[in-house]
Amino acid sequence: MKRDPLAGKIPVTLITGFLGSGKTTLISRLLRHPDMDRVAVVINEIGEIGIDNDLVKMSSENVSLLANGCLCCSVRTDLQETLRALFGERRAGQIPDFDRVMIETTGLADPAPVIQTLASDTMLGAHYRLDGVVTLVDAANGLMQLAENAEPEHQIALADRIFITKCDLASDGVVSDLTAAIRVINPRAEIRRCSMGDLHPNDLIGLGLSSARAGDDTLHFLGELKPSAENNKQGASYLGDRLPARHDPAVKTLSLRFDQPFTWASFSAAIELIISLRGKDMLRVKGIVNVDGNPVVVQGVGHVFHPPLSLDRWPSDDTGSRIVFITRNIEASTLRALFSAVELMQT
Amino acid sequence: MMTPKNRSTQTMAHNMTLLSHHELDGFGGMGEGIAMQHADDGRRILWMAHESAPKNFTGVDVTDPKNPRVVVQTEMPHMKVRSNSLDVVGNLMVVANQTKDVNMKPAGFDVYDISTPEHPKLLSHFDCSGPYSRGVHAVWFVDGKTVHISSGAPDFQPHNPKDDQIYRIVDISNPSKPVETGRWWYPGTRVGDTAPQPPRLPAQFDTGFRAHNTNVFPQRPDRAYVGYIDGGAIVLDISNPADIKMVSHWNHSPPFNGFTHTVLPLFERGLWVVSDECVQDDGKDWPKLVWMVDARSDANPVPISTFPAPPYDAFAKRGGRFGAHNLHENLPLPVSFQSDTLIIGTFFNAGVRVYDTSNPYQVEEVAYFVPGTPRLAPAGAIQLNDVFVDDRRLVYTMDRFGGGLYILEMNI
Repeated sequence: MKRDPLAGKIPVTLITGFLGSGKTTLISRLLRHPDMDRVAVVINEIGEIGIDNDLVKMSSENVSLLANGCLCCSVRTDLQETLRALFGERRAGQIPDFDRVMIETTGLADPAPVIQTLASDTMLGAHYRLDGVVTLVDAANGLMQLAENAEPEHQIALADRIFITKCDLASDGVVSDLTAAIRVINPRAEIRRCSMGDLHPNDLIGLGLSSARAGDDTLHFLGELKPSAENNKQGASYLGDRLPARHDPAVKTLSLRFDQPFTWASFSAAIELIISLRGKDMLRVKGIVNVDGNPVVVQGVGHVFHPPLSLDRWPSDDTGSRIVFITRNIEASTLRALFSAVELMQT
Repeated sequence: MMTPKNRSTQTMAHNMTLLSHHELDGFGGMGEGIAMQHADDGRRILWMAHESAPKNFTGVDVTDPKNPRVVVQTEMPHMKVRSNSLDVVGNLMVVANQTKDVNMKPAGFDVYDISTPEHPKLLSHFDCSGPYSRGVHAVWFVDGKTVHISSGAPDFQPHNPKDDQIYRIVDISNPSKPVETGRWWYPGTRVGDTAPQPPRLPAQFDTGFRAHNTNVFPQRPDRAYVGYIDGGAIVLDISNPADIKMVSHWNHSPPFNGFTHTVLPLFERGLWVVSDECVQDDGKDWPKLVWMVDARSDANPVPISTFPAPPYDAFAKRGGRFGAHNLHENLPLPVSFQSDTLIIGTFFNAGVRVYDTSNPYQVEEVAYFVPGTPRLAPAGAIQLNDVFVDDRRLVYTMDRFGGGLYILEMNI
């Protein structure tokens, strides 16, 4: 009997969002939410959130235990150090147990380095897993922000779930246009609408793979099963799938399929080649790869890949390799050519 | 404000969920014997030996792990004897009897028919009492016919009274008539041995050259894996019980502080997991560890890593003992969890801990559960003593004083 390599790790949700998208409001509501017991929330600046003293049960230099059982932690030297210290203090009983971490990133931040930290730091990788990236987009100003800055595009590209916030402050038409623009950058992330701060903690979890045991969750993770909540919603996201894009963005999603199995050597050689040639234009890679007949889940952000995860079985009858690339200025044909080139070299 | 040191009242959990806790009707001071019976009527009965009198053993129906119920709890004949250890195969249960001093009775082991769990029926008693013997400390019984014990014997006179437990093999093919078929002791410990007496550990750590766990598995019925306390880890060739020979010996002490408790072979991987036992309070005999030993060569076992120990600062002064003790021993029985990679152990005040040994050079701690201090705990903290994991992957662990039984689920 072996351990499931994912099941025991503490899930981490990254919360990103453009300036003004309501991130601070969301965080401060989460810190007061009764269902946030045993969740550690890492925030940049406690002062910004403004926690009432009567909500704080205990506190140390960097960590406050709130009345609802939530641990509020401010970032120390850096996030890496903060997450290491949190795990160490938890294990030593210096802070109460927590089962989940939510991290607020700053509005201007590209979330990629944070994800890469989780993937590349051995100690963090042993104890934490990325659950996913949640991105908040301001309904009224989102389109303008997308046009003016690069970061919002990254935040959308890397998102597993996107909340269009402040929908009560924008017309349906604006929200539909924004949804369409988001869909072009990231057609696979789930898009939900919300008004100010009305998110439940459960909306921010269950985004990534939590087990190496294959099932519907795996297909959902691969974007091959739509979540039921979205299926039921007729509206923006439905239209968004069909509306033509207003502009031709640099960032796009490419889905590649390979019916011949790879050897691990040939697959990793192809990925290494792509990274060495176009690493900085690779935003995110996610997929299931047939390695000598066996299913292996791969995930990468930028040039950093998480350790490959062997599933116990195929999640469906489809045993082809399916890989989704979110890239900047790369065409699908280019990626295919690189894979073919590696295949030729290997034979 | 938050306290800088951990508080013993605080429960600490990582990837383990408490399903239930049972104080065993006020007699929750438990030894190091846990075994499961799949009774004829389908119930799962967990049998546990008590740490000390007045109780002997307790059977708990754990068919529904969230609702454990005591079905039987038995008495010791007097206050100077304890059971400490037991094992179950089918409807047969073997229970140790260890007396406080030599020359007392009952000192040996009992064989029970537990076909009706509510009414254990005594079939026989194997007597080990004598002028130098305190009887049986630990039993190993997994094949239904052979009991391997760490025990004194009426005719075994040690040079040093601390060396009173030797390894003995007892045939109970006829459960009513146990018969000794073999024994082995550390050379030089018996009066009359030609070998020189072994050098002792420093007085504060001298716990004796004597057997503790004496494990024999069906994968290698010709080998006994013995934790020989201050004598280290020893593997014996028992193919001829009348002529037992040592084939492997590894001892970390000195410079470490003795008390090798369990030698658990991982057969497919050529490894042993070796646990120490902490026997002093407040970290006085720290470090007591779990070791990974490369045992591919009988003649030259090589330690390759230690399991990541619970943090000293958090536990050493938490109350009572702090360090390694019992492991779940992959019992070769259908009711037992068996794994070549996941190892589960108890660490007294540092709770029960689960390790992934997939990389034997870099063992990972993947789960733990440290109960808050049980009510009226004399040590001021939990003292988890022994652990058993069943085929449902449920973890049963018990406190040395008062806390009783904790049933946990592993979320890994």
